[in-house]
Amino acid sequence: MNGPRKEFVRVVQVSKRFPGVQALDNVDMVVHKGEVHGLVGENGSGKSTLIKILMGVHQKDSGKIYINGKEVNFKSPLEAQKKGLSAVYQEVMIVPELSVGENFFLGKLPLNRLGFVDWDKVYKESQKTIRDLGLEIDPRRKISNLSFGDRTMIMIAKVVREKANLVIFDEPTSYLTIEETDTLFNLIRLLRDKGLGVIYISHRLEEIFKICDTVSVLRDGQMVGTNPLPDVDENRIVSMMVGRPIDEMYNIRRAEPGEVLLEVKNLTRDPDFRNLSFYLRRGEVLGFYGLIGSGRTEIMRIIFGVEKPDSGEVIIKGKPMKFAHPYQAMAQGIGLVPEDRRFQGLAMSLTVRHNINISSYGEITNLGFIRRKDELSRTEKLVDALNIYTPSIEQLVNNLSGGNQQKVVIAKWFAKNVDVLIMDEPTTGVDVGAKVEIYRFIEGLIQQGKAVIIVSSYLPEVMGLADRILVMAEGDFMGEVRREDADEELLLSMACKVTLNSAAH
Amino acid sequence: MSLNKITKQISGTEKEAENNGRISIFSRFKLTTELTLLVIIVFIFIVMTVVTPNFMTIYNIGNLFKQASVIGIISIAATLVIISGGIDLSVGSLAGLVAMLVSVMISGNYMAKPILPAILITTVAGIVIGIYHGFIIHEIKLPPFIATLGSMIILRGIVKWISQARTIANLPESFTTFAKLSLFNSIPSLVLVWLAAILIIHIVLTRTTFGRNIYVIGSSQEVARLSGIRMRLNIYGIYILAAFLCTIAGILMTSRLSSAIPTGGSGYELTAIASAVIGGASLSGAQGSVIGTMMGTILMVMIVNAGVHLSINPFIMEIVQGALLTVAVVIDMLRQRRS
Repeated sequence: MNGPRKEFVRVVQVSKRFPGVQALDNVDMVVHKGEVHGLVGENGSGKSTLIKILMGVHQKDSGKIYINGKEVNFKSPLEAQKKGLSAVYQEVMIVPELSVGENFFLGKLPLNRLGFVDWDKVYKESQKTIRDLGLEIDPRRKISNLSFGDRTMIMIAKVVREKANLVIFDEPTSYLTIEETDTLFNLIRLLRDKGLGVIYISHRLEEIFKICDTVSVLRDGQMVGTNPLPDVDENRIVSMMVGRPIDEMYNIRRAEPGEVLLEVKNLTRDPDFRNLSFYLRRGEVLGFYGLIGSGRTEIMRIIFGVEKPDSGEVIIKGKPMKFAHPYQAMAQGIGLVPEDRRFQGLAMSLTVRHNINISSYGEITNLGFIRRKDELSRTEKLVDALNIYTPSIEQLVNNLSGGNQQKVVIAKWFAKNVDVLIMDEPTTGVDVGAKVEIYRFIEGLIQQGKAVIIVSSYLPEVMGLADRILVMAEGDFMGEVRREDADEELLLSMACKVTLNSAAH
Repeated sequence: MSLNKITKQISGTEKEAENNGRISIFSRFKLTTELTLLVIIVFIFIVMTVVTPNFMTIYNIGNLFKQASVIGIISIAATLVIISGGIDLSVGSLAGLVAMLVSVMISGNYMAKPILPAILITTVAGIVIGIYHGFIIHEIKLPPFIATLGSMIILRGIVKWISQARTIANLPESFTTFAKLSLFNSIPSLVLVWLAAILIIHIVLTRTTFGRNIYVIGSSQEVARLSGIRMRLNIYGIYILAAFLCTIAGILMTSRLSSAIPTGGSGYELTAIASAVIGGASLSGAQGSVIGTMMGTILMVMIVNAGVHLSINPFIMEIVQGALLTVAVVIDMLRQRRS
């Protein structure tokens, strides 16, 4: 990577418009040979569009693309491949039912003199390709018997065999273990040292810092900047992605706590958790922190009536409750944004309109008949208020991005106007922009005198948002930490049941 | 600070934007499921009118729609259950049982009881079977397929047992004339009942909380529960409403045939499910409409009728019906893949 680097791909003022959105707006980017170029941006920032235009999947509206200084205009992925451009998507180019070797020679298996396939040659050459990359995979094995990691390596090996000059990785580590990720990174470094250009797309910034030489940031279809690493730090990149300074992210306006809304006394359900007591006041954000398996999710499910406790009390506005079903908890003003929105939060095959109103149709009916006008106007209002990006309220939620899906789940409880909103890992799989918006919704709720419980295993989030943090470990209540006393070390040690001197709060 | 939590989300604005075009085609496609069926039906009508002299007669068309009415109402029952993500294989047997019960009660050869109480009692029996389905599916957690397969066989057994496998005839005239009535001398009473059922259930599905809940339950029971939908109430409601529709169909069937036969309604469950699926219902739930099902029923019945007029071997027509169902399910799968 030292010395004069030769330019390989140059993207000049490329724009692309899809109905209703400017996906790319005069984007410039240069990738050199022997460079790993990181490409980051929130969902919807235009990364995939840019890659697809490079690969010939989409056609640009305007702008120019040069390869080795010559202008190109790919009409199909095949043309791009002929010029040595390759994208390692998840499992696209390999046939899982065939062996590794057959996949390498797909469509051009060598024949021996008798006209039969020369398997010796296939496997010998395949073996060499694999060895050259420092890998240990038997070329006779079927792809479907390989781990995700090995499959990724095989895809890369195939790309290398086919003499690619530019390899694009789109979130390659999503399904990889830590060791496999290390192997992948070694492989990427090998490609770079061979003089190939690499574009590396990832949400995980620490990976970008580990493997990339340069990083480009896209936001709303525009190239915000390209910087060599390590000239910029993580915070800088995130604020480039989000368009505002990072420390403002968790800054929500606090509310004056009011009367107690929810009280839990000696709640126990073995073996998930034991003897838990806490209270929640109007205007408060209560954080639950603990490692996975600490019992947090089970507590929330019991408060919401999904499951039953062994013993203990849930008291709402002074009245002891015995919930056997979520609709009873809901009737008392409790809402739950569940941990897994695809399987618990959303009817994926139904529309945005339907999903937003699921829990509150009862409020817009006359004698059981839904008032269509009220349904539409309230849905439009919530889609606007929560900034849900969807072409129409009749869109299936399945087609929305993670962030927008989560906003639909939240909108459902806004429509129901619950007093206590329990949010279990609300920002998992949500892009940075939507995250910030979700924090604003929490702010809005407490300003209205409602209360929020946020369960999160992401420390900065709990520490930034919650007024008080309850720490759980293996079902035991480890203690309560006030916002002003919270620091990462303390919370983590409590969650891991490590005794620190300062853990005596 | 680590951004580990920002996990992979492939879809984003640009993906949605790309989908935009596809989705609008898809939603238009949904609309055209019904339209396409209408075009096919009209096409067959025209071809049959040209090709055979006896197809486009008041008698045949009236007969065709009368036939379609009974199976059409049963198909609506099947559609409700399919939208909720379940399946009801007992709809045909239940209609057969109702037919037999009401016949035994009012037939001059048997109990010779008055008509209205007999209808009332049979209706209660039908609803009890709906409650039983709700119970065994919601409380015992039996898969709907197994639960209703059991009922299908049980109910058919009961029909044969109480009738001793004989045809029950000699029904009072006031009962059998109902099926012969028509509005303005052209629209048969059975068709009117069918249309009423279509209208009412269509409104239930599109305009009531109960109807909207059926789709949510069909999409995911867990999501429905966590959204505060009262599962017991709704599941029982679905199976009771389905059983009630089958009861009506069974009574109409008896009136039309002026008798009850031990095999009455057998095989209807498959025609009903086929009608629903052809009409756009998805066996994985959350999709389907009453209007689509109506079209599906007309198509299924019309094909058999057309076969008769073209003197095609009825066995071959069975093959055609089966093929139609297969094609419909293939289309259903393609639709799934598209979404």
